[in-house]
Amino acid sequence: MALVEIDQLSKVYRKGSQEVPVLRDLSLSVAAGEFVALMGPSGSGKTTLLNLIAGIDRPTQGSIRVAGQDLAKLSRNKLAAWRAHHVGYIFQLYHLIPVLTAYENIELPLLLLPISSSERRKRVQVALEAVSLIDRYDHYPRQLSGGQEQRVAIARAIVADPTIIVADEPTGDLDAETATATLALLKHLNEQMGKTLVMVTHDPKAASVANRLVKLEKGKLVDDQLHVVPFNGVQPSPRSRQLASE
Amino acid sequence: MLKFIPYILKNLQGHRVRSFMTILGTALLMLLFLFVFSIQSGLHQLLQSQDDRLIVFQSYRFCPSSSQLPIFYEEVIRGMAGVKDVLPVKVVVNNCRASLDTVVFHGVPARSLSKVRPHVRFLSGDWAAFASRTDAALVGRRIADRRGIKTGQSFTIAGVNVTVAGIFTSEAAGEENVIYTHIELLNNNQHHQDLHATLYEVSVTDPLQVEKVAAAIDAKIKDRFEITTETKPQKAHFQNVLADLLDLIGMTRWLGFVCIGVVVVLVANSVIMAAQDRVKEHAVLQTIGFSNWRIVWLMLTESMLISLIGGILGTLACVAWLTWQPLSISTEGVSIDFIASPQLIVWGLGLSVLIGLVAGLVPAWQAGRAEIVNSLR
Repeated sequence: MALVEIDQLSKVYRKGSQEVPVLRDLSLSVAAGEFVALMGPSGSGKTTLLNLIAGIDRPTQGSIRVAGQDLAKLSRNKLAAWRAHHVGYIFQLYHLIPVLTAYENIELPLLLLPISSSERRKRVQVALEAVSLIDRYDHYPRQLSGGQEQRVAIARAIVADPTIIVADEPTGDLDAETATATLALLKHLNEQMGKTLVMVTHDPKAASVANRLVKLEKGKLVDDQLHVVPFNGVQPSPRSRQLASE
Repeated sequence: MLKFIPYILKNLQGHRVRSFMTILGTALLMLLFLFVFSIQSGLHQLLQSQDDRLIVFQSYRFCPSSSQLPIFYEEVIRGMAGVKDVLPVKVVVNNCRASLDTVVFHGVPARSLSKVRPHVRFLSGDWAAFASRTDAALVGRRIADRRGIKTGQSFTIAGVNVTVAGIFTSEAAGEENVIYTHIELLNNNQHHQDLHATLYEVSVTDPLQVEKVAAAIDAKIKDRFEITTETKPQKAHFQNVLADLLDLIGMTRWLGFVCIGVVVVLVANSVIMAAQDRVKEHAVLQTIGFSNWRIVWLMLTESMLISLIGGILGTLACVAWLTWQPLSISTEGVSIDFIASPQLIVWGLGLSVLIGLVAGLVPAWQAGRAEIVNSLR
C-alpha cells in the first residue's frame, strides 16, 4: 500500500476576488521508502504539493491520504497532532528557533510526544550523531554555519522518527560543497535508515540523489520517472535499483 | 505544559531590553497601584476596628485642641448603665491639618493605660517604666521608626517634653502612630480637678447598645453641665474626623485603576511586538506539530509571566518601602497607616496574572489562528 495517495487533487488560492489555481486534478502515489524529487518551474505548485503532503495546507478538491489518514478530514488540532507523529519538515532557510541551542531545537518535536526526559535526551543524542553535530549541541543558530544549521534542521526533522520527511529546497541556500554533504545525508537517511523523503528542488544535481523524479508544470504532473544514476561518484543502492525494477 | 517554560523564558531572555523595560514599567506601575491601595487598606482597617467603643467629644468642636472636657466627666460617664470602662484622653498634635508626619500625643491616666490597652506589646521598656516618671512616654513603632526615637531618649515635640519609657507595637489600626504620656503632663501638671480631656473613650458592655448608651451620655451631660458632648461610635467618629480625607482617598483609587489600565496597555504592546516578531517561528512550531491552542498558551504564559514578574517586583518594592519607611496620613489626631496587608499583596499578585491574561489574549489568539503557509511566506 502506498504511503502517500493523492487523488484528483486541486488547490486554489484566493487573492481578493481573484482565484489562482495552483494544482489541478493531480494524482500521485508514493511508496514507503521512496525518495521523490519534485521539480518544475517557479509557480508550478511544487511547494504547495509538498505542504499538502505535510498537512500544513488543505486541498480545495480531491483527497490526500498519508500513512492511511485522509488529511482533509482532520480538524486543525488533530492535524497538528498528526504532524507531530508523522511528518519531519526541512525548510530551505532552516528556520531554527534563534533563542534555542542546537540541542533544544532538535528536542522541540519530542516535547509533543508522551516520552520521558531521559528518552528525549537519548533520541536527541542519536539525531545529533546522525548529523555529526554532537560537538555543537550547545551552540545557538547564530554560532553555526549554514550547513550546520541545515544539519540541525534535518536532525529536528528526524528526531521524532516520522513516517515521512519532506524537504523544501533543502540545499537552496547552501554553497555547492555543503549542498553535496547535505544531499549525501538525505540519501543516507533514505537508504540506510529507510526514511521516505519527498524533496522539492530546482537543482537537477540535487534531484539526481532521489530515486524518483516527479515534474510539475502549471499545477499538473507532466513527468514521473524512476531514475537510477550515480550521485557524486556513488553508485545507486540496491533499494533504488529494486524500486526501478518494480 | 511545564516542559515548555524554558522555551518561554529563553524568548524573554532573547529580547532582554524589551522584556526588561516591560517588566520595569509593570513593576513601577504595580508599586504605585499597591501604594495607593495601601492607604485604602489602612483606612479599611481603621474603620473596621472597635465596634464596641464610643468616643465622647465636645459638641461642635473638630480640632483636638478645641475640645476641652472636664476630667470629672469620667466619673459621671463611668456610673452610667451599659458602660464598662472609661478612658480620658488628652490629645495634643504637632499639626492639626492633614499631614504625613503628624505626631499625636495621647495623655492618659498612667494607672488606666495598661488595663485598657492590654494588646500593646513592648519592643523595649515596660509599664513600670512608664508609671515611674511623670514625663514618661510610650512611643508607637511607626513614629519611632519615622523619627529615629529610642528608649531612654528625651525629646520635645509640639512643646511637650518627654522621656521615652518604651516603644510598643500594636495591631490596633493607627495606634502605632500614637505617643502615650501622662494626662497631667499634657495639662501642664495642673491639679487633678483642673485637668481636661479632649475626649473620652467609652467601652460598653453590650456592643448592640452603643447608640443607646451614646445618646444617654449626651443627654445626661446636657442636663447637668454647661459643656455639652457629642458621642459617637468610634467608627463614626473616625469617619467624621476624616471626612475631607475620605474624599481624597476615594479619588486616589481611580489613580490605582489608571495604573492597571496602563500596565495592560504596556504588556499588550510587548506581547503584540513579540507575536509580530515570531510569525515565522510560530509557523515553524505549528509545522512541527504544535496545535494552535498550544501557541495561544505559550503566548499567554509569556504575557502572564512578564506581568507576574513585574507584579512581584512592584509588590516587593512596596512592602520594602512601607517596612523601612512606615507612612501614615493624619488629620485632627487620627492616623491612617499605609498598610501593605497580606490580602493586598495576594490581590496585587493575582491582579498581575489577570493583567497578563487580558493583555495577551488578543495577540495570543491571533498568533494561534494564523495560517501556517501564509506565515511561512
